[in-house]
Amino acid sequence: MTRFEPLLVLDDIKKNYGAIEALKGISFTIGKGEVVALLGDNGAGKSTLVKIIAGGLEPSGGRMLFEGREFLARSPSEAKAAGIETVYQDLSLATNVDVVANFFMGRELTRRVLGMPVLDEKAMEAVVAKALASAGTRIPSLRTKVEHLSGGQRQAIELNRFVHWGGKLVLLDEPFAALGVEQTRRGLEMIRAVANQGIGVVIITHIMQQAFQVADRIVVIRQGVVAGDVATKDTSPDAVVNMITGETLAAAGAAG
Amino acid sequence: MNPNTRRTLEFVLDNLVWFMLLFVLLVFSLFVPNYFQPGIFANIIEASSVLGVMSIGLALVIIAGHMDLSVESVAALSAMAVGIVFCSAGIGMGVQLSPDWLGVPVSLIIALAVGSAIGAFNGLLIVKLKMNAFIVTLASYIWVRGVVLALSGGRSAQDLAPAIRWFGVQRLLGLPLTAWIAILCFVVFSLIMAKSRFGRHLIIIGGNQNAAFRAGIKVDRILITSFVLAGAIAALAGWLLAIRTSGATANLGMGLLFNAFAAVVIGGVSLKGGVGALPGVYAGVLLLSAINTAINLMGLPATSTQVIHGLLVLAAVLLDTLKLSIRQKLA
Repeated sequence: MTRFEPLLVLDDIKKNYGAIEALKGISFTIGKGEVVALLGDNGAGKSTLVKIIAGGLEPSGGRMLFEGREFLARSPSEAKAAGIETVYQDLSLATNVDVVANFFMGRELTRRVLGMPVLDEKAMEAVVAKALASAGTRIPSLRTKVEHLSGGQRQAIELNRFVHWGGKLVLLDEPFAALGVEQTRRGLEMIRAVANQGIGVVIITHIMQQAFQVADRIVVIRQGVVAGDVATKDTSPDAVVNMITGETLAAAGAAG
Repeated sequence: MNPNTRRTLEFVLDNLVWFMLLFVLLVFSLFVPNYFQPGIFANIIEASSVLGVMSIGLALVIIAGHMDLSVESVAALSAMAVGIVFCSAGIGMGVQLSPDWLGVPVSLIIALAVGSAIGAFNGLLIVKLKMNAFIVTLASYIWVRGVVLALSGGRSAQDLAPAIRWFGVQRLLGLPLTAWIAILCFVVFSLIMAKSRFGRHLIIIGGNQNAAFRAGIKVDRILITSFVLAGAIAALAGWLLAIRTSGATANLGMGLLFNAFAAVVIGGVSLKGGVGALPGVYAGVLLLSAINTAINLMGLPATSTQVIHGLLVLAAVLLDTLKLSIRQKLA
């Protein structure tokens, strides 16, 4: 099914909201160093699935294997501890604090002063400066509050943050919604670079072209089930559109 | 705009309330007879210690994006608890400890325990049961005052044990120790907010609770801690109040809540959460106190204080809006 060593295996993941079945049993595998594009119409259940993997939601059924072991994150911090980073479509930045504070959110560096842990602003600023420079992102001052930055700059910070922290699996929920053409191109390059380090990547996108540019495999979700799971090189945008709209559901299973 | 002008302007905006304080002190010193003397300034600081301490707790919770209306009643209950145990007249039981100084830590522990317990109660209802902070703490504001009334039966406790009152009598550099306690609180909590992970997380939660949660910050725990702190700090304010009045009455501290709100808002803390710093709040407290003192010296009726405080809060909010638009032009 995939030429990559499996990193995360989803096995019959279900999610109900009362009588409504948002996910009716999702199964697919994400390999180490593999980029999987998750496609589907609005309301198909993509974001729900990402939240379940990232520890933001508990599944109603099914199981996950992460690096061969049974896995369930009960909170985002548990997922992070396991090495799963998530970039959400509504950005996860606190606009009332500066770039450095956002970059290190929840992972602040401290040094001891009189035995007490004190935020090590200098060290953190140095790390951020280096990370942004190597990604080619220019931000006038790292001490600027994020509310004074443009949408593109904000998304760049968020992307650089996940590239920097890396981990083992990265989930991206429409990461390029606010980016221009050039920044999107750079973002896609970043994703490839991350995957080349052996990190698994799941990217949710609405833009077919992006999926074909960056993904090794395309997984289509329709009405809470996997409607297609195909290697990018074995399919075409038209075929994928058909899977999304449900015109060729029968053909989808075979390709997986 | 060149970087230096910009930096200067940002500095002025960030510390606007301090400039307002200086301006007000200058104007009063020039135009109010007998205003300009060290004793008056010491009095301004002394008179603001209870309100100052209470404002710290309130500011913490508001910066975290929540609300605590119960601080005034919590202070009153702590004061009443200390009063009942350690006062020798009225409803006081006049408990004697030996040695005498033991009364200080014991009374502090009583006060802090009362405050932390109510803070924890508020915090658990708000964070775990996801009840609205405004309603929960409004309820606490009412029932805690009710407990004060019930405990005291409407009567008062007088003659606090001298070992505890010592803090209100003993002076250091012209200020009573109670004022130094308030100043120390501001220094300690300012450092915590600016330099510790807890403070940083509290500010981030106030700015974007969802982002904080996704980043793995233990949002629930930090929010509950902030409510416990607000309760404990309010209790410390109550302890100072008991010392100041050498006892406790059933209506002790009435109206402090609104002054605390005024100080917090004037001090530059946004009710939306995530914005503000404690040094500014202290300046706000001093500003209110400076104005009160001027009103007293000018012999104006005390009722005018309320009108002026109200207008001052409006002015502060107006100024905040103005600051925001200037900042947007700067960016």
